[in-house]
Amino acid sequence: MSRWGYFFRRLLLSIPVLFLVMTFIFVLLRMGPVDPVAARLGPEATGAEAARMRERLGLNDPLWEQYVDFVTDFLVLDLGQSWVVYADWEVTTIVMNSGPPTLWLGFWAILLPLFIGIPLGFYAGLRPNSWSDYTASVSGILWQAMPNFWLCIILLAVLRQTQGGGWLGFDWYAFGPEIRSITGTPSLDFLSWSNPFGAVPFPTGIDWSALAVDVKLILPPALVLGSASMAAELRIGRTAILETINSNYVETARAKGLKSRAIVWKHVFRNALIPLVPVITNEAFLLIGGSVIVESIFNINGLGRIFFRAMVQGDLPLAGALLFIFTLIIIFLNIVQDFLYTIIDPRVGYER
Amino acid sequence: MLGLLGGSATVGLAGCSALLGDENGDDDSGGSGDYEVSEHADKAQAAWQTVVDNPGPDAEETRNEAYVEIEEAVRDDMVLLPLYHSKGERFWYDYVDIPEHGALGSHHQQFNEVELEGDSELNLLNSSFDELDPIMSTDTASGIVITQLYETLTHYPNGVAEVENQLIEGVETSEDSQTWTFTLKEGVQFHDGQELTADDVVYSFRRLAESEYSERANFILDTPLGLGIEYEEGEDGGVAPDSIGVEAVDDRTVELTLREPNPAVLDILTYDGFAIVPEGIVGDIEGYDGEVDHDEFRTGMANGTGPFQFDGFTPGEEMRVVRNDNYHGTAASVESVHWEINEDPESRFTYAMEQNADVFDIPTSQYDPELIDAEEDDMGREVGTYGPFENDEETNYLAVPELGTYYFAFNVTNVPRPVRQAIAYVVNHEELIQDVLSERGFEAFSFTPPRMWPTGDDGYDQWVDEWPYGVNETDIEGAREVLEETDYTSDDPFEMTAATYESAPEYAEMAELIRQKLGDLPVEINNNSTQFSTLQDRGEDGDLEMYSLGWVWSWPDVAYGHFGFEPKNTNTSEMPNSATGYYLDWQANLDEEA
Repeated sequence: MSRWGYFFRRLLLSIPVLFLVMTFIFVLLRMGPVDPVAARLGPEATGAEAARMRERLGLNDPLWEQYVDFVTDFLVLDLGQSWVVYADWEVTTIVMNSGPPTLWLGFWAILLPLFIGIPLGFYAGLRPNSWSDYTASVSGILWQAMPNFWLCIILLAVLRQTQGGGWLGFDWYAFGPEIRSITGTPSLDFLSWSNPFGAVPFPTGIDWSALAVDVKLILPPALVLGSASMAAELRIGRTAILETINSNYVETARAKGLKSRAIVWKHVFRNALIPLVPVITNEAFLLIGGSVIVESIFNINGLGRIFFRAMVQGDLPLAGALLFIFTLIIIFLNIVQDFLYTIIDPRVGYER
Repeated sequence: MLGLLGGSATVGLAGCSALLGDENGDDDSGGSGDYEVSEHADKAQAAWQTVVDNPGPDAEETRNEAYVEIEEAVRDDMVLLPLYHSKGERFWYDYVDIPEHGALGSHHQQFNEVELEGDSELNLLNSSFDELDPIMSTDTASGIVITQLYETLTHYPNGVAEVENQLIEGVETSEDSQTWTFTLKEGVQFHDGQELTADDVVYSFRRLAESEYSERANFILDTPLGLGIEYEEGEDGGVAPDSIGVEAVDDRTVELTLREPNPAVLDILTYDGFAIVPEGIVGDIEGYDGEVDHDEFRTGMANGTGPFQFDGFTPGEEMRVVRNDNYHGTAASVESVHWEINEDPESRFTYAMEQNADVFDIPTSQYDPELIDAEEDDMGREVGTYGPFENDEETNYLAVPELGTYYFAFNVTNVPRPVRQAIAYVVNHEELIQDVLSERGFEAFSFTPPRMWPTGDDGYDQWVDEWPYGVNETDIEGAREVLEETDYTSDDPFEMTAATYESAPEYAEMAELIRQKLGDLPVEINNNSTQFSTLQDRGEDGDLEMYSLGWVWSWPDVAYGHFGFEPKNTNTSEMPNSATGYYLDWQANLDEEA
């Protein structure tokens, strides 16, 4: 099968997946115990008021008709309007507003572990059973064992107490770019946009101080969100190095007199990355779910938090649209994963 | 029945609650009706009738007596056990000077009287909200902001429960109390400079009644849960366009016509939904095209008469308003007000500790009643200081008994009277509030909060003295005595489910405490915590036994809470359409059934 054939097969397979996901969320929200009208109107509303709202939202139509409407709207990419969380807002507007902060958080939550977890793991793997190995491994396990919600609260409590000079005069607020609060949504307006090539806006400049503030704001939540991945990457990186460093081709390389630097970078490093690829892409899935807690505790107006609220308040169009987007992202990441394999390891191909 | 509940959407829910109900279905076999008496339900029904028949301003005393009778009937038949009244707490740093608010809550407070030392912007926290359109506002989060932007004809200054004129100079009522004539204040300007006229009032009220976006149309159309304004029904069963009884007599005179006399008109008009917007600003009612589309009006702008005007709104993130220099009252001292939108308790606390919020509340996890140093003032409020906090600051402290009541109630057809009374005997209010709420509540012995008790403070004190089930004590003997009348024994106890809801976990804890208190008494409680809407559905199906709920007064009118006790209005088989009361099925105890 050619690469393109494989690609299209993956794409076709994602259609039933999407369909199942949509059906599942419809059943969950429309037949479960949550009532969007009650969530929106509150306990003081009368039956007549609730009935008017039901009619307006189309909840009085037969269930199968609601289902068909729900699914066809998604097929034509008409994401509709939110019912409860942002009542009557276009779902696309909500996603445009809250998508970037989540992406920003996700980006750093993947990047931080990559640049901390993997180097530490490789470092430990290259010096097995030394004290530095033990220290790195044990702290990695401890780090992974700490639940995110707890880490968030502790991080908030520790950082906010450094205001005006904490231990050893360290003040997180004044450290680097100055920030007003450690919580809040990054503004993400460090890029200046213009339209030199017609309708599509194009980034033309960067406001470095604004970028620094946005990075500083996102570091603590990204550290928490990436904590589990960081530890996992550390441990798998260590094992992968140990496996490759004892393999025959490394021994051969050593025998033919290659410098150890060349051995590590050219032979060990690249091969040790192979088992890490699925770990990293799989963690990207986890970020979507994990961002719920981190976003609410750090008060980031992102998709995770909105998705959670949409689910508990029975906001079917919003929850459906977000799930639709999440599913698309996951399917896309799966494809990226296959792609990365072929780059790192030429032996892995689409041909069987 | 299912059809009445509102179509297919609720079929699944109703089926689900029927299943839940079946688990406890065997309770009915005992025939709980054997232990019921009719005198209390009859008394409540007659008293409510008295309230309805005597709406005039001169009959206030008659109504007040009837209200007390309703409370007595509720108490003596123990259909509803009040647990606590809400305690509104507020903490603020020393550099802020903010008036203390009253029993109706801080969301009635306009910030033009706030003064700040060393800063020109008042920084606050708020929960998430998504609309600035007054007729869509049903929550306090948007209410707080709308109060700064838009104004109503009458208001409660700082949330103190005494109604005063806001946009009107005076009001006259006709002989039969059904026509109300308001004279608007002169020289009131909207933020865009237009003068306020009677047409704006007519337009605003019509939107509340007619607009498809209105979420509280019942507050203008219905009675006693609203004004009960005159209107004609349209073809589709709704309100016919421009048929409601509000008329502009001249530029500054508005006439309101009601279907029947209503003593609470001036109170009801304080509700956000009655806020005045300029005529024709949106085209959501017949006869207007709208200057802006509704999306824009809902979140992108505001044009009211309030002390602050719209500056910017990012839903889920922040909201800012700036001073209106042409305000008809005292112009604000602060230049702007900023709300950071944040719902997570830890994160809110962090924001407050960073001194980013000038006025704030604190989560129970960080709350220590020992740190309060406060004294009670003449309005029952606790005023003083709290601290030191972890940032070494001591703040000002205010605790206000607010107009909210949280309770356990019983469906009388499912729970026999001796059992209901036994529960009341074992409940120790003080202990519940200490153990479960960390003292963040006020003991409740009546449904109507003490601040609006019909016969005043002395009357309320007497009421507490006469409370028969033991004030702040666990009266096991009393409970044993009432249960001796029944056939229930420790081997074959009466089993019932206490239904609570997950968004208010304190109820489940209270129910658990009560379960433990009952000990070897022949009553066994099973705790069942569900979604709020599930509880509502089961209530409307008449499946509940013991259940928890709360009621918050939007205006201090006893009838606004008591309408739900009228036995004929508690008939769950007519809910949610023609019956709107609490889920008591109290009509079953009436001498002649409705």
